[in-house]
Amino acid sequence: MSIEVTNVTKKYGDFHALDDVSVSLPTGQLTALLGPSGGGKSTLLRIIAGLDTADSGTVAIEGTNATKLPPQKRNVGFVFQHYAVFKHMTVAKNVAFGLEIRKTPKAEVKRRVGELLELVHLSQFADRLPSQLSGGQRQRMALARALAVEPTVLLLDEPFGALDAKVRKELREWLRRLHDEVHVTTVFVTHDQEEAMEVADEIVVINQGRVEQVGSPDELYDEPANDFVMGFLGEVTRLGPVRLRPHDVDVSVEPGRAGSFPGRITRLLRVGFEVRLQVELDPEVASGAEPVSVVLPRSHARGLDLELGSRVWLTAAVGAVTVPAMVAV
Amino acid sequence: MVEVSTPVKWLLRLLAIGYVFLLVAWPVSTIVQDAFADGVGAFFEIFQDEQVVNALALTAQVALQAVAINLVFGVGISLLLVRYEFPGKRVLSALIDLPMSVSPVVVGLSLLLVYNGRDGWFGKTLEEWGVQIIFSGTGMIMATCFVALPLVIREVVPVLTEIGDDQEQAARSLGANARQTFLRITLPSIKWAVVYGVVLSLARSLGEFGAVKVVSGNVANQTQTATLVVEKQYQSFDQTGAYGVSFVLAFVSVVCIVVVSLLRPKEHKK
Repeated sequence: MSIEVTNVTKKYGDFHALDDVSVSLPTGQLTALLGPSGGGKSTLLRIIAGLDTADSGTVAIEGTNATKLPPQKRNVGFVFQHYAVFKHMTVAKNVAFGLEIRKTPKAEVKRRVGELLELVHLSQFADRLPSQLSGGQRQRMALARALAVEPTVLLLDEPFGALDAKVRKELREWLRRLHDEVHVTTVFVTHDQEEAMEVADEIVVINQGRVEQVGSPDELYDEPANDFVMGFLGEVTRLGPVRLRPHDVDVSVEPGRAGSFPGRITRLLRVGFEVRLQVELDPEVASGAEPVSVVLPRSHARGLDLELGSRVWLTAAVGAVTVPAMVAV
Repeated sequence: MVEVSTPVKWLLRLLAIGYVFLLVAWPVSTIVQDAFADGVGAFFEIFQDEQVVNALALTAQVALQAVAINLVFGVGISLLLVRYEFPGKRVLSALIDLPMSVSPVVVGLSLLLVYNGRDGWFGKTLEEWGVQIIFSGTGMIMATCFVALPLVIREVVPVLTEIGDDQEQAARSLGANARQTFLRITLPSIKWAVVYGVVLSLARSLGEFGAVKVVSGNVANQTQTATLVVEKQYQSFDQTGAYGVSFVLAFVSVVCIVVVSLLRPKEHKK
């Protein structure tokens, strides 16, 4: 195990940012710390980097106890949400910083910087100042700067959070490819479940200072440990006694299937290739319950001839992931 | 920006320019006139006066040392105020503004009370160790440091706050220790604020009068600075001398500020 976090607790006044968190992050993998804002995931990352200190608990990196080490002795690369570029230095100087601190010979620095700029596709910008780069380019530069010191682990704090949607999507694919090339143990923090699912080998879901679940994206999606994980990883709706994904609800236009819930379509929205429905169940089967959300492919909806006000019967699809609904709120 | 009608715009400009002209530009320019009233030759004659030359040299010495001390402590205190949390931080911040609001004469008197050799709270002990503060260069430097203390800090603190500590943290994570981080990251970022603070301190230190007058004893050729010479000459009806030295003082300050505003990169260029 590359990073071993044991019983870490961190309080800000009365607020428990992290509450007795233990987690092991495997070597060579790309791990996402996923959770809502203020859930403690950034704090955990900063404690691993040594930028914050835990009130109690230990952090070990590659077998060495790093709990009391200052950040500059931990050999971690850190990438900040707002890039933290050195504004007064050129792109090449930024990338060279860690190497120059380590008194690397000049020729070696030059070679490494050249390689890294190549890797992040910024070679032609080597002599520019960071202020002349776009947000995405700045973040790639920050990544090259962090990789320059050949860190044991690479830590990224919401690395794409400040970028617009399109660049974000490009960069996350690029990060995945980069990781497949470089294989450095990487941990990144995100509150975007899609980003985590798409990029990470393993996801640690953190909420209210606790680890809710650890697993591969598929495990988390298919076998959520609890209601929170299920709700955080995708849309959830309630059908009778269970909660399930809207696309796991089967729609039929005639009764007859055992355990089906009759209702009426109260909203119908077409978004691209899918159709989203809101179905209000008949009062006798579910009085006062929220309307059920259903998502189905457009072709399917057309085949059933669904319209606003149509009567439908809903069942949970075979093999659907379900968790028992919480006691009616 | 709020749209302002053209006549109002011109009226506002006229008011601002008129105010600065009547208060600053005109009076200062008359110094130049009077300094050269009896010709350039008469102006340069004042440098024949040993008393004037000694006073100018002393002013330069005191001002440079005070600025050097304020530079080190100013940057240090700024870092302390912006980057660290500690009890009493707000009190410290308020104390730093004190020299702005307290009259320099009061500063001089208070230094006298603490450090004078006969009955000062601390001065007696120091005197026994052979250190004289009052009526010596040390006391004059202390008084000058006191009055110029806020100038570096008030320039540097906002810049430090604005740049935040992201870059410093990045440097630490890349292996830099505290000294390397300060020299390679923090200092270059606050460079212009420091330069501006130093120039303001220098201008202020050259012109200090009240505090220095009280602690120096005003002994000609020994503890008499340029501003004190100006006063003495003016009182003994040596108008040319007084205006001449005044001109030198004003000229140095103006040159400092002009040089810096030319050197300083344009703001809002980030």
